[in-house]
Amino acid sequence: MSGLTGAPATGDAARPKIEVVGLAKRYADVDAAQPAVLERIDLTVAENEFVSLVGRSGCGKTTLLNIIAGLIAPSAGEVRVDGKAVTGPGGGKGMVFQQQALFPWLTALQNVEFGARTRALSPAARRREAEQLIDLVGLAGYAERYPAALSGGMQQRVAIARALALDPQILLMDEPFGALDEITRIDMQHELLRVWSSRRKTVVFVTHSISEALMLSDRVAVMRAHPGVIAAEFRIDLPRPRQRTHAEIVALHDRIWRHLN
Amino acid sequence: MTTLATLLRHPQVQGLSFLAALVLGWEVAADVGVLRPYQFPAPSRVVEAVWEIATSGFPEGVKLTTHGLVTLGRILQGFLLAITLAIPLGLLIGWFPVLDRMTLPVITFARSVATLSLLPLAIVWFGTGELSKVLLIAYGCFWVMLGNVVAGVKYVDPVLIRAARTMDASGLVLFRRVVLPAALPRILTGARVSLGVGFMVIVGAEMIGTIRGLGALIMEARTFYRADISLAGIAALGLLGFGFAIGLGALERKLLPWHRGLEDVRR
Ligand SMILES: Nc1ncnc2c1ncn2[C@@H]1O[C@H](COP(=O)(O)OP(=O)(O)O)[C@@H](O)[C@H]1O
Ligand SMILES: [Mg+2]
Repeated sequence: MSGLTGAPATGDAARPKIEVVGLAKRYADVDAAQPAVLERIDLTVAENEFVSLVGRSGCGKTTLLNIIAGLIAPSAGEVRVDGKAVTGPGGGKGMVFQQQALFPWLTALQNVEFGARTRALSPAARRREAEQLIDLVGLAGYAERYPAALSGGMQQRVAIARALALDPQILLMDEPFGALDEITRIDMQHELLRVWSSRRKTVVFVTHSISEALMLSDRVAVMRAHPGVIAAEFRIDLPRPRQRTHAEIVALHDRIWRHLN
Repeated sequence: MTTLATLLRHPQVQGLSFLAALVLGWEVAADVGVLRPYQFPAPSRVVEAVWEIATSGFPEGVKLTTHGLVTLGRILQGFLLAITLAIPLGLLIGWFPVLDRMTLPVITFARSVATLSLLPLAIVWFGTGELSKVLLIAYGCFWVMLGNVVAGVKYVDPVLIRAARTMDASGLVLFRRVVLPAALPRILTGARVSLGVGFMVIVGAEMIGTIRGLGALIMEARTFYRADISLAGIAALGLLGFGFAIGLGALERKLLPWHRGLEDVRR
């Protein structure tokens, strides 16, 4: 796949964390004549790597992420984490959803504490950890608010803190900033990079925004629909924070755009 | 003037002043003879009737407090019986799709049966005593409550369940910490609607073999052409229902503090 691009992904020196091998997905209740939602997906994500999946809406990004999370089963192929096949959710794979998915009956702090529920911590230590995460995502002072009393951007921050509270090795994020206005979105991108640099994780980040992928990722996988495939991969070896106007970013933006059309 | 204006902006004041205007219009209409006294006695006449039932009783000796307490007891027994059965059953049916598919036709059918059409059968099976009345109320309350509990569990936002599963919640933990709280608003709505059904069924249930209870009072007054007594009974029943609605509303705010944010939007 990477052979399609001018900037092929270099062979990963680091240990592979996530391996997606020969994955295909066809939803059972859909007409068999339709092309599969996903076909022949191969993707390897190295430990602590930040990989983005970009593609038009409907190309299967959410489906792929849900399969990696273990929330839905593939029709063929498999996902391996640390070499072991994924058979279900949990076990250190944190997820931030495309839709609002906080528990509305819990406060921001309680939502984050829920994430830390299964960790071997005393209740007091769990609370302290949740408070630290709330601070980390810049919500000090809002810990006791219910989600309904938070803005969309704040809710997404809580969702990120909740996923981090699992202390996951893998963080899966499905268009976490998709519903935000551009200003908040750029703030959140900075915020995420800050969080990511203080708590290293392997991240798979879904977005339909090319520039968002370019600002954040080590590698961008471009998806195309009908059937959903990974059409190309691009490596971005630039230090962060990055400038939107950097010549290489602009050039990559252009090439990814052409791959999407 | 300004104080009156601020006062009138209060929602409670608005509600009460409209009610007061209605009662006043009714009084005037009765006094000038637009409404016939034996059909629509004036509110002042109804107040006198309330006094009569409260002091000497109607029929003689059965006072308003007795009627009220007896009715209250029947509704509460029926309602509590219904919800203690409907909540656990509804949780099970909502959680296990097999049970849902099995019971759907029965629930749909039973809900469509008008409770009072069971009155003759209730008499045959359980006699004309308290049991028949309580069970009729319970029947009406049960199906409404069951339907709401099932729906509450069944229609929990799937993304909440997925989110919980990514955080290692499954089985009983998932049910208790996610499904139950997510279904709670609908369950409380069910309780409110169900209690309302209890109040609708009571008048019919009290048609059988009793002179005690507000329903019995309302029916009994008819045989004596005492529309004022009937109206007094209806008012008392309405007030009782109103009190329950306020109580359940307070309970709801206590159990669902996170729902308050939504109220602001509706205002
Ligand atoms: N549960 C489902 N059943 C049937 N088809 C589905 C289901 N979920 C998604 N699809 C279809 O799969 C395709 C990819 O969806 P999705 O993974 O949500 O795409 P994306 O996240 O890239 O927008 C779409 O055509 C969508 O209609
Ligand atoms: Mg999607």
